[in-house]
Amino acid sequence: MTGAAAIGIQRFLVIYLLLLVVLALMKRSKISQTKLLLTASLRMTVQLVIAGFLLTYIFENPHPLFTAGYLFAMMGFAIHRVLSKNRDLNTGFKISIGLSLSFSGLAVLVYFVAAVVNQSLFNPQYVIPLSGMIFGNAMTGVSLGVKSFRENTASAKERMEALLNFGVSPKNILLPFVNQALETAILPTLNSMVGMGIVSLPGMMTGQILSGTLPTTAILYQISIMVAICTVVCLSVFGSLHFGYHTLYNKRSQFCRLGGLLTGTGCGDEKSGSGTGREK
Amino acid sequence: MWHNSFPDSLENMLENKEETMKEALRISSLAFLDTIFYPDIEVQPGEVVFLLGASGSGKSSLLRLINGTISPSGGSVFYNGKDILEYDPLHLRSEIILAGQSAYLFPGTVRENFLQYHQYRESVPPDEETMGACLAACRVPFSPDMSCDTLSGGEKQRVFLSVALSFRPKVFLLDEPTSALDRPTAEELMKNLTEYCRSGNIAAVIVSHDRHLIDMFADRTLDLGGAAS
Repeated sequence: MTGAAAIGIQRFLVIYLLLLVVLALMKRSKISQTKLLLTASLRMTVQLVIAGFLLTYIFENPHPLFTAGYLFAMMGFAIHRVLSKNRDLNTGFKISIGLSLSFSGLAVLVYFVAAVVNQSLFNPQYVIPLSGMIFGNAMTGVSLGVKSFRENTASAKERMEALLNFGVSPKNILLPFVNQALETAILPTLNSMVGMGIVSLPGMMTGQILSGTLPTTAILYQISIMVAICTVVCLSVFGSLHFGYHTLYNKRSQFCRLGGLLTGTGCGDEKSGSGTGREK
Repeated sequence: MWHNSFPDSLENMLENKEETMKEALRISSLAFLDTIFYPDIEVQPGEVVFLLGASGSGKSSLLRLINGTISPSGGSVFYNGKDILEYDPLHLRSEIILAGQSAYLFPGTVRENFLQYHQYRESVPPDEETMGACLAACRVPFSPDMSCDTLSGGEKQRVFLSVALSFRPKVFLLDEPTSALDRPTAEELMKNLTEYCRSGNIAAVIVSHDRHLIDMFADRTLDLGGAAS
C-alpha cells in the first residue's frame, strides 16, 4: 500500500468542472438554486481550506486547549444550525436540543476515543475528525427529528384538540409523535448501514484507503464509526424530543402556542392570552 | 339493527341519577384575551343551555374555558361549586366533556375508534351494549364494524358524538353538533341527547346557529352578541 497520490493545484481545480454539469442540469430542470450551488461550493472550499490550515497547525502544535476549542466550536455550530431552523421553538425546547446534542455527542466521542481507539481524549488526530462525524450526523438527525415532529403535530391539530377536549393528557397525545419522529430520524442511518460495503464505500473508509491504510483496518474504523453514529443520532434525537415535548404544555395540561406547531394560549416565554394560566 | 330513538339501554349508562349538584356550572366575570368579556352565567344540573352569537363572539372559546383547555385572562369558572382551578385538569375534563367542531376519527372502524379514544384516555372502553346505545342515540345507522374512512361528514360527526357520549359526561359541551346534519337527523339527535342530559341531570351547553333546534330543545338561550372588537 502507498500513501495517497499528491494532487497539484491545477489538477485539483479540474474537479470544479463537474459542477458545470450540475449547473447545466439545474438550468434545464428549471431549478432556481444556481446561487445556492455557487454559495455552497464557495463556502465549502473556503471552510475546508481554513480547516486544513487550522488542523495542520493544531497537529504540528498539539495542545489540549486547541483540541477542546475545535471540538466546542463544532458542537456550537451543530447546535446553532439546528436552532436556526427552529427559531420559534420555546426556550425550554431549545435548551433540550442543545443539551441533548452536547451530552450525547460528547459521551459517544469519549467512549469511542477512550474505549475503542484507546487514545488520549486530547489527541487532535483522532478527536477532531471523529467528533466532526459524530456531531455532523447528530445535527442532521436532530434536524430531521424535530422537523418530522413539527410537521406531524401541525397536520394533526384536529386529533390533538379532540383528544385534549376528551381529557387525554398532553403527554399521551404527544408521545406517539415523538416516537414517530425518532423513527424518521434514525431510519436514514439504519438504511445506510444496510447498504454499506455493497452500495457504497463510505467517505471515511475511502479516505483511509486512499491514504494508505489497510482495508482491514479501515473497515474496523468504519464499522465502529457507523455504530457510534447510529447511537449518537438515536440518543440526541431521543433526548431533544423527550425533554423538549414536555415544554409544549403547562401545569394545567394546556398546549402552548408555538409557531405552526401547537394551538393553545398557555405556557412559557411566548405572548399568550392568559399568561401561564392562573394557579390556585 | 340499531335503535333510532332514545334507547332504554342508554338509560343504563346514567350513573347516580339521583345525585344532584347545587349548580353544575357558574361563570363569573370571565374574560378571554382581555377582549371577550362574558356575562355571568349559571347552568343547573339537567339544564340544556344554547349559546348564540356572531362569529368571533367567543362561543367556542367559552366551551374551552369551561373545560380548562385554555385559561381566561380574568374571572372564574366554577364546576359543582368549586373553582375549576381546584380540580386536577384531566379529572375535570373527564367529567366536563367537550365535543368540538371538528369531528376527528382515527383510521379504522367505528369500534376501533371507541377503543382508541378510550385507550388514549386510559379509561375502560364501553361494552357492546353501551357502544350500541351511544351509536343509536346519535343516530348512527350502521354497525360498529363499519370503516370510518368512507363515512360522510355528517356520519363522522355522529360517530364522534357517540364516542364523546361514551365517556359519560357530567357536563356535556357541544360545539355545533349538528352542523353537518340534515334537519330530521339533527332533530332526532338533539332530541336523544337533550333527553339523555335531562334524565341524567347532566348540564349541557350547546353552541348552535340553528334557530329551529334552539326553539325545540333549549331550556334557556344565551346570546353572546357580536364579535369582540
